[in-house]
Amino acid sequence: MNSAWGGLREQLLATPMLAIGLTLAAFFAGGWLFARLGKPSWCPGILFSAMLLAAALVVLGIDYTDYRAGAGWLMLLLGPATVALGVPLYQQLPRIRAVWKPLLISLPPAAMLAALYAVGIAWLLGASPEVLASLAPKSVTAPIAIGITEQLGGVIPLMMGGLLITGVVTTACVGLLAPRLRLRDPRVLGFVLGVNGHVIGTVRAFELGPTAGAFASLGMSLTGIFSALFLPLAWRLVGL
Amino acid sequence: MTALRGFLWLVVFLLCGEALVWALALPVSPGVVGLLLMTLWLALRGRVGPDIQAASQPLIAVLAMLIMPGVVGIFFIADEFAGQWLAVAAALLLGTLASVATTLWLMLRFMPPETADE
Repeated sequence: MNSAWGGLREQLLATPMLAIGLTLAAFFAGGWLFARLGKPSWCPGILFSAMLLAAALVVLGIDYTDYRAGAGWLMLLLGPATVALGVPLYQQLPRIRAVWKPLLISLPPAAMLAALYAVGIAWLLGASPEVLASLAPKSVTAPIAIGITEQLGGVIPLMMGGLLITGVVTTACVGLLAPRLRLRDPRVLGFVLGVNGHVIGTVRAFELGPTAGAFASLGMSLTGIFSALFLPLAWRLVGL
Repeated sequence: MTALRGFLWLVVFLLCGEALVWALALPVSPGVVGLLLMTLWLALRGRVGPDIQAASQPLIAVLAMLIMPGVVGIFFIADEFAGQWLAVAAALLLGTLASVATTLWLMLRFMPPETADE
């Protein structure tokens, strides 16, 4: 039985289809679970999907590197999907233009501190430079974060995991803090989600509405651009 | 067909972004440059055609799925950083909590209240 599955597994892994199918299945199963739990505001649906996917890989005995090689085809769509964010951004342009000054004032400190807090805490607790470099771009959208991590000498899988946790925690924080502060302004909520929680925060923002989604897309793009310029420079100054 | 035509537009903008990144040696990803080009082009044109609308909406809806292959890697590298998980967890949890609070504070401090034209 076991060896028969081993042979079949090898056959199925010969093309990327198994990896793509598993990812899609986990995505929809996680989404279903998320809806059944009443779409809790403290937890994004992606967390369920990611855990289901990881469990499926372990149960089926699929090596992560093999899976990753196949699912890379799916990640190729990340490029066009990022470009697609230009549409909601354009649709909300008048509202964004009305507040471009407060957005530009808030962004640099927000993006710098997002990296600084994490790197500072990890450094105090004795993390190695490699780990620090993997944590620095934790609020940056995946394609840019990969570039930054390589430049700083970090570890990509650790950085990607950091992205997941950061996105989840951002969603949770905003979900818990917003009602307590009686905060309903979709522009503020969206921007905070996008700046701190990159794609995962942006997905949550679109669940709140198109305005929040557009401000999240903007926050995410600006944080990405700013961090790509700022982090390598800061790294050189600190001499890591 | 509409969605596929729209997808072609997205790919064209992505390739333009790629070309710009290469030509100007920009440190940003081609996707983000493409995003900005797309916004600029739509602003010049003054409207979003049905093609681009049909392609972008479903892609944005599955954005989270597209990073799943990368992020599940965290569950498989546990051994490698055995001694540093406390630092990593604290940095991610407390760091994110602090940065969300800071951004909220900055936004509430500088953001004018919404005008009533909603």
